[in-house]
Amino acid sequence: MPIVEKSLVTVDRSERLEIEGIDVSGDWNTFLRSRVQTDLDVRIVDWIRSQPQGDTISRCWQCGTCTAGCCLHTDYGLSEFNPRYFIYLAQVGYEEELRKYATTIWRCVSCNKCVERCPKGVKVEEVIHTIGSYLEFTGGAPESPADRFDRAYTENLLRRGVLDEASLFRTYERMEGRTMPAGEMLKMGFQLFRSGRLRTGPLAHRTRGWRRFGNVLREKLKEDERCRRASLSAAGGTGGHSP
Amino acid sequence: MSAGISRGPTDSVPAYYPGCSLDGLGKAYEVTAQQVLHRLGLSLDRIVDYNCCGATEVKNLSQDVSVALPARNLALARSMGRHQVVAACNGCVYSLARANDAVREPATRGRINATLEEGGAPTYDGEASVQHVLEFIHARAGPERVRAAVRRPLTGLTVAPYYGCLYTRPKRYTGAGTTPGADDPEHPHFLDELLEACGAKVLTDFSAKTICCGGGHALSDLDVAVAFSASILNEARRAGADLVATICPLGQINIENHLDRIRAAYGEEVLRPVVYFTQLMSLAFGASVAEARFRDNFSRPDLFLRSRGFA
Repeated sequence: MPIVEKSLVTVDRSERLEIEGIDVSGDWNTFLRSRVQTDLDVRIVDWIRSQPQGDTISRCWQCGTCTAGCCLHTDYGLSEFNPRYFIYLAQVGYEEELRKYATTIWRCVSCNKCVERCPKGVKVEEVIHTIGSYLEFTGGAPESPADRFDRAYTENLLRRGVLDEASLFRTYERMEGRTMPAGEMLKMGFQLFRSGRLRTGPLAHRTRGWRRFGNVLREKLKEDERCRRASLSAAGGTGGHSP
Repeated sequence: MSAGISRGPTDSVPAYYPGCSLDGLGKAYEVTAQQVLHRLGLSLDRIVDYNCCGATEVKNLSQDVSVALPARNLALARSMGRHQVVAACNGCVYSLARANDAVREPATRGRINATLEEGGAPTYDGEASVQHVLEFIHARAGPERVRAAVRRPLTGLTVAPYYGCLYTRPKRYTGAGTTPGADDPEHPHFLDELLEACGAKVLTDFSAKTICCGGGHALSDLDVAVAFSASILNEARRAGADLVATICPLGQINIENHLDRIRAAYGEEVLRPVVYFTQLMSLAFGASVAEARFRDNFSRPDLFLRSRGFA
């Protein structure tokens, strides 16, 4: 375990304004004496930051605005869903504790209130999904329904370019082992048919010339996942670690 | 914080990105939006071979794919010579604006353009701004022209305006609150003003205006999706609303898809008809209940409206 001493909050602005040797660039960090912790495992936060969806993680100064407004935490009352804490655990590399929330993290509904309100410009929603991906790739995290849905959704749209909503519904419900009662299915099918909305399967919309673009994206998707996993093993992987 | 997002030049006829929902379950939204635009003398030019924008799902799997999907649509709009893209779905507005944010970085733009070229699509120069159809109507026609177009005021209808989450959020992508013509991110009011102009009583203090409907997990987290949908309807009931007006097909479909579960968990009295705002506007502009396609909605606003004397 490398012993690292680092400031948890880093500045990622390039412009600086100094007058007589004093930094007056107005960056909020200027007013803080940054807390420094030692013996951190920085491999998690380094990986999160290397991902385009997670690159803002180091701006976080732990104010908790994200959690205070989070609809899952506050409105739904899921107190263990705490984006501020997830980011903290990733920053200090407390993987063992972070892993407890491997499934909870995927319950984020992507309402983006946290991103909207973050005073430091952290893309919280994307950062915590990246933390979720980290936990998934490094093993041990059970697949979550939301993650399965992301994959079913992407697979569906890559087929024709346009989403086949009815087919996505059927496929996903089957994945979760749920079946809609036949009567209800018929009723809904009839209502959609009557209003000209039963465009599914062979009748579904498709994007002209999609095959070529779809294939390129499919390859890209695979390559991206390969790269993300490879960058993790190149970093030497991580082991459970308590500060 | 950024000083707003430059919306660049405006087009007299911007490009229109329908998105999957408006060609699918949200057909009533598509049809009535066209009726409303037509009556207001506005037009949009449809991006013909558009593709799904990837919503909030694809980005969890791959950044580049989640940017390339919307970028292809924005590139198509640019190849039509447009600088403005109007979308009717909050999810689409979010992901199109997010792609714009991503390609502002030259390295990303280079990578995305290589992907677009490889896939046989035009490349994207990053110069198409994105607007929600509500913002477009508000900016181009505004409450005054809407009021002038009303043939049958929605007198006696109390409406809860429901904007949902991604209409303005996050401002980093949408420019909300800091860009001229964009709505307020915390207290949006464009929908209130347009529906008021239609003669409806609008609950401007509706507390569930911008809460999440749980639509991101409409199927993958039923507890959350049902609880959030129910809280929107419950707030509407508490505030005395007859109807809930939505501006997002996912919000609409998510609430209506869970009506049975909401009824089972919270009781019949919570339920309210849920309609697209363009359906109400079209009704006010003189369309019949059938023409405004109210029967498409699973919450059956057609029955309610007929009981209130709207034919």
